[in-house]
Amino acid sequence: MATDQDLVVETVRDILAAHEPFVLTPERPWDQRLWTALTEAGLTGVGIPEEAGGSGGELADAVAIARTLAAGAAAVPVAEQLLVVGPALLATDLAVPSVESPVSVAVAPAVTASADGDGRFLLTGRATDVAWAGTAASVVLLVESGEGSVLALVDTAGLPVAAAANLAGEPRGTLTLDATPATGARLTGGQAEEFRARFALARAVQIAAALEQVLAWTVQYAGERQQFGRPLAKFQAIQMELAEMAGEVTAVAALTDAAVQALDRGEDVVLAAAAAKVRAGAAVEIVARLAHQVHGAIGFTQEYRLHHLTRRCWSWRDEAGTELEWSRVLGAGLLAGGGDTLWASLTRVV
Amino acid sequence: MQAGWTLEEGHDHRIRCPVRYGADLGAAGVSAASLTLAPAPRSEAAEAVRLEVREFLAAELAAGSFEPHVDTWLSGVDPAFSRKLGERGWLGMTWPKEYGGHERSAMERYAVTEELLAAGAPVAAHWIADRQSGPNLLRYGTEAQRREILPRIATGECFFVIGMSEPNSGSDLASIRTRATWDANGDWVVNGAKVWTSNAHHSHYGIVLVRTSPADPANRHAGLSQLLVDLSLPGISINPIRILDGGHHFNEVVFNDVVVPGDMLLGEEGSGWHQVTAELAFERSGPERFLSTYPVVAEFGRRAAETQDPAQLATLGRISARLLALRQLSLRIAAALDRGELPNIPAALVKDVGTTFEADVIDEIRRVVNVPASLDSPDPLGRALAEAQLHSPGYTLRGGTNEILRGIVARGLGLR
Repeated sequence: MATDQDLVVETVRDILAAHEPFVLTPERPWDQRLWTALTEAGLTGVGIPEEAGGSGGELADAVAIARTLAAGAAAVPVAEQLLVVGPALLATDLAVPSVESPVSVAVAPAVTASADGDGRFLLTGRATDVAWAGTAASVVLLVESGEGSVLALVDTAGLPVAAAANLAGEPRGTLTLDATPATGARLTGGQAEEFRARFALARAVQIAAALEQVLAWTVQYAGERQQFGRPLAKFQAIQMELAEMAGEVTAVAALTDAAVQALDRGEDVVLAAAAAKVRAGAAVEIVARLAHQVHGAIGFTQEYRLHHLTRRCWSWRDEAGTELEWSRVLGAGLLAGGGDTLWASLTRVV
Repeated sequence: MQAGWTLEEGHDHRIRCPVRYGADLGAAGVSAASLTLAPAPRSEAAEAVRLEVREFLAAELAAGSFEPHVDTWLSGVDPAFSRKLGERGWLGMTWPKEYGGHERSAMERYAVTEELLAAGAPVAAHWIADRQSGPNLLRYGTEAQRREILPRIATGECFFVIGMSEPNSGSDLASIRTRATWDANGDWVVNGAKVWTSNAHHSHYGIVLVRTSPADPANRHAGLSQLLVDLSLPGISINPIRILDGGHHFNEVVFNDVVVPGDMLLGEEGSGWHQVTAELAFERSGPERFLSTYPVVAEFGRRAAETQDPAQLATLGRISARLLALRQLSLRIAAALDRGELPNIPAALVKDVGTTFEADVIDEIRRVVNVPASLDSPDPLGRALAEAQLHSPGYTLRGGTNEILRGIVARGLGLR
């Protein structure tokens, strides 16, 4: 099935293919060479209009890029840039920073914003779990003020960073802000929720792509690995496990795609994103466990490729709001009209 | 688009190969396209008919014409209710008008069936006829068979039973022994027995898989045919097989020298296996494969709305996320059926994931409500949990066990 996104996917793959594998360490917290190659191809500005400094293109293109990079375990903040930061800044009429500089995102309820003149704020507090903190040149934070949420864009140069990493070694540091100047826009409660939902959906998209790749690797490995004189794939016990993985992967893809399409149609996607994030997280549990089980001990090693994706999935399911948080959002949201309207609510989510 | 899946061609990958980008790592896009069916189109017509059905169901509930129950597509037999659906044009929805159908899309039919199941409405009488016997007749039936039977299914007056499994042939369907032989008048003479025939005692016809040539060990799928059998024929006895709670849904249907007119062969002699396979995309992919226990979720939703208990809300969220993913998968298959495809492998996958879900729902809810399951419970949630629990062994067995389904999925993954 050819899609309009095939070309962009091919371009990203070609760039990935020309790169060495990237093992994240505290000393090498991101893949700067890959980032440069992506910027040279204009891929870090896709979905952002040219007049805003981007490369143009559709949401579907941006999603295709984020998916391909996620499946490739690429150590670059592109999903954050294309799926969260760019759209949020455009929606609030804030200037989009150069798409050639890495930018990141965090929900930072412990940071307070005080107004400092027209469209400017001073931010104070600690922003934890900032994706790519220390490497991103700027960061978009959802912070609180006395009068509701503020979406703030902060230049990170000179800001103190306490480095930390997720289970895959992706930077997730803490920024300490002390009357730090920022541009910003006030958000309604609904807009703030929409921002959180976009972030969660971005992680769901990444998980969906990564799990598909994990399945493909596991099927491939089971076909190649010989034990008892035949490939693992010929054992019924292994076939049952791979089929279970396929069921999970396919379910996540269907729901995530539907949520992305709802976003593309301009619908309120808070519940759709919540559902996609929760479903993707639930699938990680099964798919990662079975993938490692089928791979055996080699999959448990650092030299083998599997952990690059399983570790990311184990973290991504907790990021941008945990499964528990989004489950409650979804459950409460579906019952917003009362207990008798659950079914009607379910049929409206996507 | 092909019905089966293909994963990307394997690479020359060594077990100890370190990570390489591109060839190994960047391949998800390709498998994404081939693993999943195309997304279902949005259908305004489906949303419109959905609201009509909802209004109808609210009026029927208010009038006391039915009480919501779990698993009503097996156990909710109510011919009068089926006729009401027929009157409204909600049976045979996708079939040509010349056969009593309504030429609506599979997406519209999906919306109607989903609403009926979610409401726990009594739909068992017509379910099999509308879902798969009718489409099977449309595909393989003679003109006379179609004209005779399809309009009566569409009005909710003609019910069907599936005659596949036998006492010694469960998952291994090709091993069936019921046989049909020609007699001197050109009619079929049928001998044998079928089991697990849901609601045979309420049905008018069965589509019965029979052996019409001796078994050939070299080709186990050869020599099978489907017969359209009027269940009132002499020599047929229908004996109840009660399920564990005493309910009578299943039967043993015994054929003792039953003379079936020669023109009641369905499709081609010897093509029975192929025809049975073609039914499966219809049989395995519908919303009844994940909504059998939805009435429990509906009661649980009312409870969580009252209590606003965080654990209950989270459980409802987790259940709902699974349900919403299944809806999308099932909708995609409905859209593929509209395009004339027979996506048997995705259908097997939906049924595996869906029936696992509908059983899991019981325990997910039990963990966060303090309500014992009992048919005599004063609490509607307790009664719904009890009904769902007592029917639970069937979910992952009927229509192909989940082990068989996973085998089909494994074949789709290229493992067999």
